[in-house]
Amino acid sequence: MFENTLDNYAHSNNLTNLNPYFKILLGISTMIVSLVSTSPVIPIVIALFMSILIIFKAKISWNFYLKFFFIPFGFGLLTFFFMAVFFGVGSPILELGLFNLTVTVDGFNLGFLVFTRMLGGFTCLAFIALTTPMTELFSVLELVKIPKILLELAMLMYRYIFVLLDEAINMYHTQETRLGYSSLKKSIKSMGMLGSNLFIRTWLKGEQTYIAMESRCYDGSIKTLKKNEDIKDIGTRNLAGLILFEIILVLGVYFTGNYGVLIL
Amino acid sequence: MNVIETRDITYRYPDGTQALEKVNFKAPKGKMVALLGPNGAGKSTLFLHFNGILRPTSGEVLVEENLLGYKKNDLMKVRQKVGIVFQNPDDQLFAPTVIEDVAFGPMNMDLGTEEVEKRVKDALEKVGMTGFEKKPPHHLSGGQKKRVAIAGILAMQPEIMVLDEPTSGLDPKGASQILRILYQLNQEGMSIVISTHDVDLVPLYASQVYIISEGRIIKEGTPQEVFSDVKTIRGANLRLPRIAHLMEILGKEDDLPFEKPYPLTIGEARRKILDSFGY
Repeated sequence: MFENTLDNYAHSNNLTNLNPYFKILLGISTMIVSLVSTSPVIPIVIALFMSILIIFKAKISWNFYLKFFFIPFGFGLLTFFFMAVFFGVGSPILELGLFNLTVTVDGFNLGFLVFTRMLGGFTCLAFIALTTPMTELFSVLELVKIPKILLELAMLMYRYIFVLLDEAINMYHTQETRLGYSSLKKSIKSMGMLGSNLFIRTWLKGEQTYIAMESRCYDGSIKTLKKNEDIKDIGTRNLAGLILFEIILVLGVYFTGNYGVLIL
Repeated sequence: MNVIETRDITYRYPDGTQALEKVNFKAPKGKMVALLGPNGAGKSTLFLHFNGILRPTSGEVLVEENLLGYKKNDLMKVRQKVGIVFQNPDDQLFAPTVIEDVAFGPMNMDLGTEEVEKRVKDALEKVGMTGFEKKPPHHLSGGQKKRVAIAGILAMQPEIMVLDEPTSGLDPKGASQILRILYQLNQEGMSIVISTHDVDLVPLYASQVYIISEGRIIKEGTPQEVFSDVKTIRGANLRLPRIAHLMEILGKEDDLPFEKPYPLTIGEARRKILDSFGY
């Protein structure tokens, strides 16, 4: 269960107890630098830095991280390919010999830039996702004034996604036990039954939960006990380090601004 | 005084199924009452009447000897007094962390933050879940979830706690932990109602037993009184406690000098055996 392991890592890695504001600030600001970078150099540096942070600082197993990383990497490659083929003007450097498709220097550079930006951005998000428990993200989101109703929905969804997963997996196993997936036709039928049954159960569970909440004087809004970690707890040293790090990255963007992989 | 009393309540589901019929149930203050019954007998339905989630088709519910009102304010008051712990803790634990879930009830009572924090801390301490505050419920075991669910109700400081099948689905250790917590709470003066079909546990803890079958209360009394009516017990798809059953067989089939009332707990049986063999 991918979601479950992700959640487990977020709750128990070496950086769990680091101030969540710091982690999110680091992740978001670095991601922004990665996205505005006009050369592929800085995003690559960021991707490497974040990966090192995730594997060696947070001590996430590299095996899991690579698997996690592989999905956006695949999408990135695909994007790279299409941009290289369909974008850019100028003299072609490669003719595909199919529908007159060609690769230009311009398109290749643009594709590669987008690809590296994606990796940079993704590693930043992965850093947040793997080191910060969802529950702490909620309190940060509240601070930046995300509407309460959205937060309540997100909280309930976060809680019940695991219950739903459990139900689905259990049902899947019981179907498999009775050979429900022994052929393609049966698989399609079983999957459909699983889906509709899950829907009904979700409905019933929702009703049960509502009754249980009503029994505890629920009046339509979830009032939560706030025990926010203070944003001031980041500490001067961490904050100074963060700012310095971002400045270096921005300077890097400035100086490498015109780099491309292929230069004509 | 009875914390909860129902008078002749009848409940029919919207589709016409009769779930309860003329149920008279009393939960005296400071006692532990057990509601015994097979699956589908109407235990959960009866419980949902105690705090006004369901409204009886006829008959009345009294909480602390006042007629239960169904206006919003009345219901809020009743739900502070009558705490229900549901059978499946996953239905009850909805918040992303333990601490937020336990704080949910007290926060709804509009208490100050300090008071809420104190209550949450006390409640978690009582159920032995201190240190789990920031865990999400899906990282807890079944027994731990159940204890958090109990803490969520305890934090509201109700007059009475109503628990629907508190030991179902738990391993023996988990189940006995829950019962020990309940016993402790009862010793401290909390009135408790539990529903169960675990007949071996009932005589150990309950001072009063009701047997419900097909929506009707068919027997009530002390565990001794109720379990001496073997015919009714078996008629309701229940059985005697194992130890009582053993004594019954020894008495009837092997002509050992054991007669009704059969001992219901290991302690009682031990005394009886020692007595009859002259130790």
